[in-house]
Amino acid sequence: MSRLITRRGALLTGAATIAAPFVITSPGFGQTGPIKIAGLVSLTGSGSPFGPNSRVAHQAVVDQVNAAGGLLGRKIEYLAEDDQTNAEAGVRATRKLIDVDKVSAIMSVWASAVGSAVVPLCWENKVMLLGISAADSIALLPHQGYFVRTQPHTELQGKEFARFALAQGAKNLYLIMPQTPFTETVFKAIRDTVEPKGVKVQSTIIDGKKTSFRSEIDEMVRATPDLFMMGGYQAENIVMAKDLFRANFKGKVMGFAYGMTAAFIDGAGKDAAEGMYAVAEPSPAGGSSAYAALKALVKRDTLDTYICQAYDHANLVILSMAKGKDASGTGVRDNIRKIANNDSAMKVDNALDGLKALADGKEIKYAGASGPCKFSDIGNIIEVAFRTTQIKDGKLVEVKI
Amino acid sequence: MTSYLIAMATFASIYAILALGLNVMWGMAGMVNLGIVGFYAFGAYISALLTVNAHAPIALGFLAAMIGTAAMGALVTLGIMRLRDDYLAIVTLGFAEVVRIVAENEIWLTRGTDGISGIPQPLKHLLGADFNLAYLIFCLVIVALTLFVLERVRTSPFGRVLRAIREDAQVAAFAGKDVLKFKVKAFALGGALAGLAGALYAHYTSYIVPEIYVPLLTIYIFLALTAGGIGNNFGAVIGAFVVVFFLESTRFLIGVVPWLSAEQLAALREFLVGLGLLLVLYARPRGLMPEPLPRLAGPS
Repeated sequence: MSRLITRRGALLTGAATIAAPFVITSPGFGQTGPIKIAGLVSLTGSGSPFGPNSRVAHQAVVDQVNAAGGLLGRKIEYLAEDDQTNAEAGVRATRKLIDVDKVSAIMSVWASAVGSAVVPLCWENKVMLLGISAADSIALLPHQGYFVRTQPHTELQGKEFARFALAQGAKNLYLIMPQTPFTETVFKAIRDTVEPKGVKVQSTIIDGKKTSFRSEIDEMVRATPDLFMMGGYQAENIVMAKDLFRANFKGKVMGFAYGMTAAFIDGAGKDAAEGMYAVAEPSPAGGSSAYAALKALVKRDTLDTYICQAYDHANLVILSMAKGKDASGTGVRDNIRKIANNDSAMKVDNALDGLKALADGKEIKYAGASGPCKFSDIGNIIEVAFRTTQIKDGKLVEVKI
Repeated sequence: MTSYLIAMATFASIYAILALGLNVMWGMAGMVNLGIVGFYAFGAYISALLTVNAHAPIALGFLAAMIGTAAMGALVTLGIMRLRDDYLAIVTLGFAEVVRIVAENEIWLTRGTDGISGIPQPLKHLLGADFNLAYLIFCLVIVALTLFVLERVRTSPFGRVLRAIREDAQVAAFAGKDVLKFKVKAFALGGALAGLAGALYAHYTSYIVPEIYVPLLTIYIFLALTAGGIGNNFGAVIGAFVVVFFLESTRFLIGVVPWLSAEQLAALREFLVGLGLLLVLYARPRGLMPEPLPRLAGPS
């Protein structure tokens, strides 16, 4: 047999392999050029219904600021990497953002497992991470302040479900959730609140990667609950809603707002989704101007919480850099609470107004599209307002509880 | 850029050890193991739990991961001894899913979907910023050692028997070979290597979580071995580096095709991975480095 790979061939291939990324990238900017910030978003995998929205919001804010002259006399360059909704792929993508692109801040990481995996890389490299990931454990890691999140941590969400259940007069509650980093916390928060009031609670944890939940739904129906918590992500909820429809379930159904989106209604079908409640969606109290500004900016009538949070992340990063006149990750870390927690300062709802106010020497308080955006020492949001919507005639309509 | 290349080369080295493990089971002994990621996870969890919960030395974690996954490999073989080909593939795929689901739900032991963070990294406090380079060298040394040992295995009588079993187990049995014993040994050896790779990953990233261990990773390793050359140890290593290079270099496409959105690019990357494999197999049906088979003497 002839040798298919010669030593010279192997050497050339190896050299080309190592050199190719340099050639392909052809960096056009010096390190002192643009300020680089990035989105680590889920463009494939289970988070893919949300990642593209986050990217759109980030890019819109960055374009707006660049069009108005940039930040600290420099342009902002925005990069988006796909974390594939997977921790290992997220680590590789983060490595690229930190080591190659030298970004100062990474925004809107969604899955808790990805957030947990990349936060050590961020604090070791002094890069600020602004997350959506809600698992309580992330904020407890020794992140030295390089992590904040705008998604309410999960205990708060569990309590909101309990409040909703009590308001609906539920007596027999059945909970189904996939195994996630926050399943136990949510179940515990619900049980601790409703059981002392005489509500019976049963729960099941499912494997979210299954393609049918018929047996789990049948078991739930046999328990005849008057309120069922369909606690999956969008993909699982679509499957469960169809199984519920087939089982002719007549009780009320509630779920996380992130799992009951417009795409959920499309996927499950209007009839199957009708009447379901989307609970625990973080929302700005009393309708914020940031929410309206974002609607105009991205030209959409309705916004889910993740696009709102992504918008807030981009504004918070830019205003923190401007406040400290420091475009590094440490600059964002040191200044984010100065523009987010300062209740007595002038309220702003977008980066442009904030930059103007800061240039005029004023103190500012950024009030976001997803909520008040105030952070505790470990990076959790302090105040949160929730809203509930119900699916009526194929649309999500806000309801008072 | 240098530290990025170091990190990616480290990932590629870990993939290479996985591919070498798969090569023992599939390439040499002909047993399709779609559950390689289950062994990888098992090794990672053994080492992580021992070093985090029991504060055992990292070296002991590595050793326990290898012994544990070798034992698991032997046990799995006993369970699948009557299966071949498609059936074997399905059962081993199921095995990996069982490992992942157990890791997800036995929260008291594995911390469930929270994952295990703070897994100690060897000599991190001494090496500081040099840790990543040192770890890459460590991984490359392990790849070289594994390669050396497996080449000896391949050319030994043991390797010859494995190839005989791969081609026709009945003929091997007829020739007096204890087929089951050889299969158990091959699975144990391959499993031990996957466990070693798992421990290397855990102590490199210092965080593991069940959702890392999804079938997609198994597909990447099959891709590496198929592209590199099934049955060829050097091919397995080359294939692993090619796969990681391919996965990562496609990130930079944005500079080449700026008119595509990030979402289109993400989809294109997955498409290109599939296309890449098709092209390699079209041009080189036996992989980049085909298995070196001993020449048979022809009729004189």
